[in-house]
This record gives sequence, C-alpha cells and structure tokens, in this order.
Amino acid sequence: MTRRKLFEVLAIGLGNVMGLVLAIPGIAYFLDPLRKMSQSGGFESLARLGQLQVGVPQSFAVIAARQDAWVKYPKEPVGSVWLIRQPDGSQPAVIAYTAECPHLGCAVNLGKDGKSFLCPCHNSAFKFDGKPVNQVPPRGMDTLEVELTKDDDPQVLVKFDRFRTMSKEKTPLV
Amino acid sequence: MFKALSHWLDGRTGYKALIHEALEEPIPGGAKWKYVFGSALSSTFLIQLVTGILLMFTYSPSSTTAWGSVYYINNQMTLGWFVRGVHHFGSQAMIVLLALHLIQVLIAGGYRAPREVNWWFGMGLLFITLGFSLTGYLLPWDQKGYWATKVATNIAGGTPILGPAIQKLALGGSEYGNQTLTRFYGLHVGLLPGLLVMTLAGHIALFRKHGVTAPKNAKGMGHFWPEQVLMDIVASLAVLGVLVFLVVSEHGANLDAPADPSSSDYPARPEWYFLSLFQMLKLFPGELEVVGTIIIPGAIVTMLMLMPLFDKVLPGKLAHFLACMLVFATVGAAGYLTYAAMDEDANNQGFQQAREKADTERQRAIFLAGSPEAGIPPEGSAYVLLRDPLSHGKSVLTKKCLGCHFFEGKGQPIQGDDGKEATSPQVASDLTGFGSYSWIRGLLEKPSDPKYFGKVAGAGGMAGWKAKSKLTSEELDKVAAFVATFAQIPDDVTSDEWTVDPVVFAHPGAELFVNECGKCHVVNGLTEGGEDSPNLFGWGSTRWTKRMIQRPGSVDLYGYMDPHQQMPGFAGQLTENDLTTLVKFLQGDYPKE
Repeated sequence: MTRRKLFEVLAIGLGNVMGLVLAIPGIAYFLDPLRKMSQSGGFESLARLGQLQVGVPQSFAVIAARQDAWVKYPKEPVGSVWLIRQPDGSQPAVIAYTAECPHLGCAVNLGKDGKSFLCPCHNSAFKFDGKPVNQVPPRGMDTLEVELTKDDDPQVLVKFDRFRTMSKEKTPLV
Repeated sequence: MFKALSHWLDGRTGYKALIHEALEEPIPGGAKWKYVFGSALSSTFLIQLVTGILLMFTYSPSSTTAWGSVYYINNQMTLGWFVRGVHHFGSQAMIVLLALHLIQVLIAGGYRAPREVNWWFGMGLLFITLGFSLTGYLLPWDQKGYWATKVATNIAGGTPILGPAIQKLALGGSEYGNQTLTRFYGLHVGLLPGLLVMTLAGHIALFRKHGVTAPKNAKGMGHFWPEQVLMDIVASLAVLGVLVFLVVSEHGANLDAPADPSSSDYPARPEWYFLSLFQMLKLFPGELEVVGTIIIPGAIVTMLMLMPLFDKVLPGKLAHFLACMLVFATVGAAGYLTYAAMDEDANNQGFQQAREKADTERQRAIFLAGSPEAGIPPEGSAYVLLRDPLSHGKSVLTKKCLGCHFFEGKGQPIQGDDGKEATSPQVASDLTGFGSYSWIRGLLEKPSDPKYFGKVAGAGGMAGWKAKSKLTSEELDKVAAFVATFAQIPDDVTSDEWTVDPVVFAHPGAELFVNECGKCHVVNGLTEGGEDSPNLFGWGSTRWTKRMIQRPGSVDLYGYMDPHQQMPGFAGQLTENDLTTLVKFLQGDYPKE
C-alpha cells in the first residue's frame, strides 16, 4: 500500500468513526418515541345507568389525568364516548363506543336523522349496533370495555382506549 | 453497476470535477498540523448543527415549557443527556478553537495583505459564535440562564443612546418572558446559523483564493487530499473525543432549577469564557461602569478590526509585533481576570452557600419533575418548586414564622454579636411535627418546655393544668393519640357529622379527653369547655391550622389572650399558595426522595 493510499483509507475510516459517534446516539434519541408506551387508563365512571334511555345514544366526556411528554395534566376531558343502554335483561346492559372514527380518527357524531352515527370528515356512517353503513370506514365502531357497579342505580364505568385507524382489525395503540 | 451510475450522474451534474477541485488544493510547503484549527472549527460547527437540530425536535421555547422540555431531554429521552451534553460542551469547544485559530493566523501573519477581507470575515464569525453563546445560554429558562442573560442584556441596555431600544428589542418588551425566549430562539436557530453559514462560505472561498499563509522558506508542494484532510480529521476526532469525555464524566450538561424572577440570592455567573468581562466590571464601579462594559471591549474589537491596516502606517515587522502583543496582552489579561473571578468565588463563603442552596433547589426541582406525585404542572415549570411544600412552604415558614417560632430547634438565621451565624430568639413554640402525636404527647408531658409554651408569654394554661393533673403516662398516651386524630378530620366534615361517628367515641382516649381536657377546651359537640383556651375541633388539620395562621385572635382560638400577647394574624399577607404549602410542610405532606 502506498503512503497516499494509507492516508486515504485512514481519512475515510476516521471520518466514518466520527460520523458514527454522533449518528448512533442521534438516531437512538430521534427514535425515542418508539420506546415510549402509550398510557392505558383504568375504568372511569361516566354516568349512572338511570340517566341513560334505552336505545338512545348519549355522548359523555372521558375525564382522566394524563402525562403529555413533560407536562402532567390533572383530570380533565381527554376524549368522548357514546353510551347506548340496551333493553333490560340483555348482556351487556350498556354498549360504549369511542367517538373516534376507525377511518381517520375524527369525532363521530349523530346523523341528521338521529338514527345513525355519521363522521363529519369523510362521511363514515354506522348503525347504532356499530356496523358500517357505507364503504368508507375499514371496520365498525370500536366498542370499549364497560363495567357496572353493584349499586341499586349502578354507575357505568368505561375503560377508555385508542385503536389504530385505517385497519380492518381493531388493534389497541401501544 | 456503481460505476455506471456515477458516470451517469457525473454526466448530468459534473460532480467529479467539483470534488476534484475541492480536494486537490495545492498546499505550498505541505500539510501541517498547525493548519487544522479552521477545519476543526468547521467540524465542531457541524457537530453543533446536528445536535442542535436534534434538540429542536423536543425543545419548546416558552417560559412555561422551556425548562420542562429540557428536563425531558436530559432525564427522560434515550441518550438525550448525551445529545444535549455534546451541544453544551461543543459550544465551549467552539470558543477555545476560535481563540486558537485566531492566534495561529495572527502568528503566521495570515491577516495581512492580501488577506485583510478574510480576517474581517473571521471577525464576523467570532461575533456570530459569541451571539450563539449568549442566546443559547438562556434557552433552558433555568436560574443560570435567566440571571446571566438578565445581566448581559442590562449591559447592552446601558449603551449610550441606543441601549434601551436594543434591550427592548432583544427582550421583546421590557420584561423577561415568552417573547424573550422566542426571540432568542429565532436568533439561535434561524438568523445566526444562516449568517454563520453565509459568512463561513465567504471565509472558505477567500481562503481558497489566497491559500494558506505558507512560511517564507516553504519547500515543495503538498495537497489537501489526503494528507491535510487526514490531519484535519484526526484533530476533529480529538475534539469530539474531548467532548464525549466531558459529557460522560459530567453526565451531560447541568440544568439548574426553573427560572424564578423572585429569588433574592441566586449567584448569577456567566459561562467561563465571559468571566473575564464579568470580573472587569468590578474594576469600574459607578459612573465608570461604561468603561468596563463598552469602552475597553469596544477598543479591543476596533483594534482587532484595524489590525490588517497597521502595515499601511508602520514598518511590516513592527506592525506584526504590535498586533501579536495586542492579542497576547488581551488573552493574558482575560486569563488573569478569569482566574481572579474564580479565585474570588472560591474564597467567598456567601457565594458558596448561595450556590449550595441553588444546587439543592436544582436537585429538588428535577426530583419533583419526575415524581409521579408531583410532575410539571400545565401552568409551567416555575410551579414545580412554587407548589412544593418542602421548597416554598419551608421558605414561607422561615420568612414569616421563624421570627418568633422555632423549627427543628432553630429560628431565622441571623448574624450574631460575634459576627458568626446565630438564630433569632425563640418566643413561641417549636413547630416541628405540629399536629402530630409526638408533638401533642410532648406537650402533655411538659407544657412549660421551650419546645411548647415555655417561651410564650400569657400561655401558662397548660402548665397550670399539668401541675394539678393526675393522669398516668399510659393515660396521657391515649389522650395524645386521640387528639392526634383531630388533624385527620377532612375539611368538608362538620363537627356535627364528626361527633355522631361512633368511631370517635370508641377511641380509648376519648373519655379521658372529655373529662380532663374538656373542662377547659371546647370541641364542638364533644366538650363544652370552660376556662380560656382554644377550640380544638380539627386541631392540626389544614382547616384549623390555616385559620390559626390567618386569624389567631378569633374568639374560638386565642382571642381570650391580651392582644399584645396574641400571635399576629397573617390574613392578607400570604397568598393561597403560601398558606397551602406552609400547612402541608408542617404536616409533612410532600413528595419525599
């Protein structure tokens, strides 16, 4: 190997070492969000069963504390949920849908007729049983886990989760 | 395959000729180690650019979020401490390399004709780099950056005529706040990098035009590639090695407690390379101040700028000699002043104590920011310590209460007659553990102890009771345990609700309390009371203690005492936050490490 060739190899090699010393921590730092798990809340009380009318969807805000990067927020509304009470004796007694559209995450509202759900963004439409009415959404509305307390007028507890949009399967975000 | 592709690309762009042009620069006299400083500076600037852009992905410039985002980078993100640390120490390496580069060029005479304009470009780069330092220092919005920047911008504000306008423009108003941060941020990540890149391009272009300032007896011809490039890379790698060493051994860059404009004793110091300017101010007090802030630095800068023109009026050798002397004298004086500043601080007990306090606050703030019980509230990082009973509550206690009371055996720190540190005299109880079982048990054992009412004029009631009381030690234990439950009564429970709770009467100390203490003390619904004494319902609870602090002279508290002997009421003198954190501090209700 000539002296010149040796210098060239050394220059390129050491230059790469320098790049890697910066690039490896830099990439690890940049990819940091992939390491952070999304926070899954517990069951939060939204309403009493007596407040709900059978078959009529009602919208409730989910109140929860949350950590947004460095800021710790006290309990405040973090999302909204549709609750539909089912006829007495049926299981489950209440169905809870997250208002986040499975298409692209806009907030699903009631349609003009009041007999279906309609997303204001791309017109995803759903029946009250959650099944899609048109081809826009990839799947039906996402149900949330519901529990009732043992009181005479039970409280409706809902576990608020978020799911991946644009997918046929209902997959929780992690 | 690769060859064909590069051939195609070269045909469209001509990049091979460009690379050849860039690398095959002839160097008269050959490659030399003393030529590495400019390249090492450029590499360090690249390091700053890369780490700076990474920091921008998280940093959030506002007075509410800046500290929190830097805390998040430093303590929560993968290798965030490393990225920020390299940026922090990299900024200092820039200054050191700048000085070395300048001295090298000076000795070689690289500032003289025909390279005058390039010397001025270099001066421009020097000021841009100092601008980076000044603006970057503030961005974490911690105590250090806040106070150092306040001093620096006030110096700018002291410039005759234009000063106030310059200062107002820098701050974005007359107060330090959101606008100051966003403007400094805009300068630091937008304007200054743009200026630096443009000036650097001019600097390098002119350097290529004139080449290195080769020694007069230079023989032969070397080339930039690969000899000089290898030396440059080795030098840059050495700089990076030093940076990595500093970052790892210091575990990243320091983050002081969040900026607190109300703190009265923060020992503000600039970064070490500005310490000489800081120290020089002390030599020019009062009216002369402007000499230290503007005239001397201004004169040095003017001389540096005019240096290439010395040759026009002086013989060449003398001009070079004078130029070198000017710079060496400046560096020497700066070195001496820096040493003097450090030496003065090292021997200044007041500074050491203030720094120690600042470090305690820094550690507490960082602990709280990561504590699940506390965290950084949405109102902003200033509230991390402001809402902390151990920080703010204790400080309120010291300022407002310890003039009379003691805490942990001490009052307010004062200067004693012999000049040593002493404590203010005690005229009221020691509040350590107030509201707890041990406090009340100690009181029942010896009310006349200085820890309780021994030092309180007109509060001999408990001592009078003790002289007559026949309660045994076990009975006193039970009574104390019962009274200690009063502090646990929630603020929204009324005395009516409390007295009908069967648990209250079932307490082993309840009956003893009613028969013994109830003769004097009223406890709503439980005892009728009799002689002069405060109502004990909720004693030691948040509600009772807040009322005691604000209105101790109320009829249900110590209204029976002579007004001169009563504790002064603090209603209207404390904010709601002062009161809440003070009471929580007394109750020991705060996140503990």
